Amino acid sequence: MTTAAIDIEGLRVVHGDRSLISLDRLTVAAGQAWTILGPNGAGKSTLVKCCVGLVRAVAGDIRVLDEPVHRLRSVALTQLRRRVAYLAQVLAPGSEMPLTAREVVAIGRTGRAGLCRPLRRADWHLVDHWIDRLGLAHVARRLYAVLSGGEQRKTLLAMAMVQQPELLLLDEPTANLDAYWREQIVQTLDQLHQETGLTIMLVCHDLEAIPCCARHVLVLREGRMLAQGPVGEVLQPELIERLYGTGLTVVRRGSRYLLAPRTQGGTA
Amino acid sequence: MDLLFWAPVLCAGVVAGASTGLLGGYIVGMRIPFLGICVAHAALAGAVFGALFGLTGPSLLIPALAAACLSAVLVGLIDPQTARADINVVLGILFSLMMGLAFLGLGLFSVYGVSDNEVRNLLWGSLAFCRWSDVWLMVAAAVIELAFVAAFYKEMRAILFSRTCAAAVGVHVTLVWTLFLLLASLVLTVNFQTVGGLMIYSLLANPAVAAARLVRGYGPTLLVAAALGAASGLGGLLISALTDLPTGAVIVILSSLLVAVAALAGRLVNRRGG
Repeated sequence: MTTAAIDIEGLRVVHGDRSLISLDRLTVAAGQAWTILGPNGAGKSTLVKCCVGLVRAVAGDIRVLDEPVHRLRSVALTQLRRRVAYLAQVLAPGSEMPLTAREVVAIGRTGRAGLCRPLRRADWHLVDHWIDRLGLAHVARRLYAVLSGGEQRKTLLAMAMVQQPELLLLDEPTANLDAYWREQIVQTLDQLHQETGLTIMLVCHDLEAIPCCARHVLVLREGRMLAQGPVGEVLQPELIERLYGTGLTVVRRGSRYLLAPRTQGGTA
Repeated sequence: MDLLFWAPVLCAGVVAGASTGLLGGYIVGMRIPFLGICVAHAALAGAVFGALFGLTGPSLLIPALAAACLSAVLVGLIDPQTARADINVVLGILFSLMMGLAFLGLGLFSVYGVSDNEVRNLLWGSLAFCRWSDVWLMVAAAVIELAFVAAFYKEMRAILFSRTCAAAVGVHVTLVWTLFLLLASLVLTVNFQTVGGLMIYSLLANPAVAAARLVRGYGPTLLVAAALGAASGLGGLLISALTDLPTGAVIVILSSLLVAVAALAGRLVNRRGG
């Protein structure tokens, strides 16, 4: 039997009198990679934040790595967060403190190392290992604030990986990146999933940003589930039309997908 | 120069500069320099009402510290996301409230016909008249500050980068953040009564800004901020002692000059590919 990394039932999140999420059921098995797809305001980011207790639900049950997230007290929630790596949609705004890329990667070890304990040599080895592995060695000593958008994303990905997570939650890891860096991130995610078997939940609204490893997709619109299941079955032209209008359709290239304008005959 | 008179004054300048410079590394790093003014005015309000109730001298520190801690806890309790306001907006509201309370208290002095000289000194400080007992108090606050930095070094680095990110990697942000705010209250209040509310702000901001332009990395920046703070305090006092110029003004101008020099030096280094 495959254990569930994320198990959601009857989840409801509101903001004031506006419903952000109303999701009946979602089960992400351990080792699977899922994409959450949907237009702006669909509730994708909110759903991911719910998984680490950064957003509270008003109803329903959400279990992450077998822990009931919304019933956990602060210390238990902190301990759960050490097992889950979460990469926010907005690149951290950066502070006036001139942190180097290596220092930013090391932040990933903060929770794991324990309160009031300095990072040990083994922690720094792990930091350097992931810096090398993600091809960041040449920028490790540079200021994080001056790195390109793509390098910053990779730095944050390295930060997530040094956490040695059991679950990786990524909120639009390719947002605002050019095609080169988007492919770099997508390929890195594929590589990571293949080598580590890590459970991944990835939020995006571009089909091009879905890595090959993400074989399952959840499609949201206005906080409600539109479809879920294997990518090939879910990403049909009818669904794309409902999501993005009649002018676009889905094109499959191997195990990757992309959006393309619909031609007069009805296909891309 | 009378060394017996100037020794505690110089030591106070060094300790105040170093401890506020170090604290400024975090406060400027988090882009919340308003926290310094907010806490300083809360301390002033506390001292004013303490004086109205008959407290004098060092005992004024108790209501000042209590008010500063209260304002810090309030800042910690207000979640900018829930309040839908930037932390600096929240600090601005609290600062104006604290200033209002302080001036209300000052107004009450004349109503009750009590002298407010001692409290007014808090605004400008009395660095040139500090004694060894004041210095030891400042050293004690600096030791607590160092202990905090040592204990929460990596947690504060994560919070400096992003509070959301720190929470996501498993840092108990509320705990560490509240402790930091209490520490800031302690350091600012203890130094406030000697250095004064106006000068403390420049020692909080300028050395940290200068340090961030001179070095890279978390540890080096904190270290250089503390060193530049100490240099501002010591240098300002020495210049003041030798020239008879007002101490506070000299320290503020010297620390501001350090920012300009650091910015120029930083540009030069960058041009040379550093």
